[in-house]
Amino acid sequence: MATDARNLPPARPAPRGIGWSLLLTLPILIWSFLMFGNPQVHADRQMHIAGAITALFMTVLFFMMMRTRATYRWRRIFFVSLGLLFPVGFIYNLVLVRGTMGIPIEEMIAGRTPFCFMPIPLLILPAAFTRTLVFPGSIASNSHGMAAMVGIWLAMTLVLGKGWCSYACFFGGIEEGVAAIPPRAKIRKLDPRLRLVPWAVLLAMVLLSLALFEPAYCMWLCPFKAVSEYVAARNLLGLIQNIIFILLFAGLVIVLPFLTKKRTQCSWFCPFGAFQSIFNKISIFEMKIDKDRCKPCLLCQNACPNLSLSKESVARGETLMSCMKCGACVDVCPREAIVWHIKGTQIAWKPERARLMFLYGAWAMAIMFGGSIIAQGLAAILHIVV
Amino acid sequence: MPVFASCGEALALGLASGPACIAACGPVLVPSLLTERAGFRPHARYLSAFLGARLLGYLLFAVVAWELGVLASMLPAPRLLLMGAVYVLLAGVLLWYAVSARRSCVQPCAESNLIRIGESRNRGLAGAASLGFLTGLNLCPPFVAAGIRAAQLGSMAAAMLFFAAFFLGTSLWFVPFISLGCIARNQAVLTVARMAMVLIALYYLSMGIAMLLGKKTYGY
Repeated sequence: MATDARNLPPARPAPRGIGWSLLLTLPILIWSFLMFGNPQVHADRQMHIAGAITALFMTVLFFMMMRTRATYRWRRIFFVSLGLLFPVGFIYNLVLVRGTMGIPIEEMIAGRTPFCFMPIPLLILPAAFTRTLVFPGSIASNSHGMAAMVGIWLAMTLVLGKGWCSYACFFGGIEEGVAAIPPRAKIRKLDPRLRLVPWAVLLAMVLLSLALFEPAYCMWLCPFKAVSEYVAARNLLGLIQNIIFILLFAGLVIVLPFLTKKRTQCSWFCPFGAFQSIFNKISIFEMKIDKDRCKPCLLCQNACPNLSLSKESVARGETLMSCMKCGACVDVCPREAIVWHIKGTQIAWKPERARLMFLYGAWAMAIMFGGSIIAQGLAAILHIVV
Repeated sequence: MPVFASCGEALALGLASGPACIAACGPVLVPSLLTERAGFRPHARYLSAFLGARLLGYLLFAVVAWELGVLASMLPAPRLLLMGAVYVLLAGVLLWYAVSARRSCVQPCAESNLIRIGESRNRGLAGAASLGFLTGLNLCPPFVAAGIRAAQLGSMAAAMLFFAAFFLGTSLWFVPFISLGCIARNQAVLTVARMAMVLIALYYLSMGIAMLLGKKTYGY
């Protein structure tokens, strides 16, 4: 029975009509141009052009999602673009403002360290115990301020749950892009215990951040320091820190995704991803498997980039807690057994409507957050080239 | 200073600096507690051993420091050496813990009462006591503050009494850790705790070696 299901081609639902697809895309079109079409915000000519390109890009991708009824491949184009353009815009800005990618101690003391979302779970316990933020950044002084990032993260997380990791994270796109390169995985047998590593990293880093009063993950283990803001090494220890960052980046973001076709940094290491998994419990959106339709061919398990499906979870009719709601399993299922689902409703209750509701929220936020980063990256390229 | 007043002051100091003590001991205590069996009794037993050994560490430090006359002002170099040594030893014990804490299943698919998660060969409470003793020697800021105050007292006995009262004040903050016994134990929790212990041990090891070599612990 499993063989029969495996031989079925991936589901190819009939494309939606162009008119209907355009109508469904209209709110996103308006939102995109509201976000990027304001000349007062983007007075710079290059930024204006980059904003227009981004608005068009995001709208076209959403239109294709509506037209083809497929999600993953179009989301991946956005996500990989985000992953590749984030370092471009970020490094360009750093070099422009500071003259270097390295962060010296003076900048840290002055609280001018840009804040990303990764340290959020590390800040909670020290803030609760001592009312102190153990990060050398400013709370609200600029666009990299903690307040802005925490606000954006909270809004997106409450709606999307761990969907943040598929529609907003500006780090995951690089490995997703690398994972898309080889036609098939060279390493197929993956130890399921590796899924627990992010939880261990989260536990260790939260406790160490509390004990040592520093964002321990940022200091020692963040692979993305290699492509964003490294330690301006002034002694041997600084050099060792940078070597750790580069090795983790090379291993988890380049080599392993290429060999496994999975997002290995997200699945096997990222403590923020583990933290986000908790919020899947409160998000109203989830992925469900209709057990009546499912013939467990496990194509979905192979397609999942985040190892969020196992034989046991498929048998239970659900994904694991770490599901990022990227849509890969839905697109690949030959029986349309996996669906977007709104908690509290029947599984078979208008799955396309649930998908649309999720995608409107996810894409609107992706435009606002990821789109701005893409626009900055494009503007940086235009500044350099033109 | 009357004994009662000095003890009251030490107790208040301990109560006030309890959160800092929890923060300092958390990386050692939380993962190791998670490798114990679920339930209040095993956790209370573990915490008793941990805190008892911690008290021993406090008092030993007080006696030695009093005899050497460095209770109030230990020079930076020996302080760094002591902390480095404590970190390296903590890393060693944590690694031993991570290796020894494994699910010892009497036989596959045995009944649940035959499966004792975290109870390993010959470890007993020695691990808890070792960790407690080493964290007792860890020169965290509240401990240093207590040391400075104790040094102003007239005798070694009074200083030890001061440390004991200080210990009592901080220990009250550790009582909620017993509630970790409510977390159901399964293979995933045990594995996460063991992996976290390895990571924390590596962190302590690198810090400890850097301190022993007299190097800066920041690369910026």
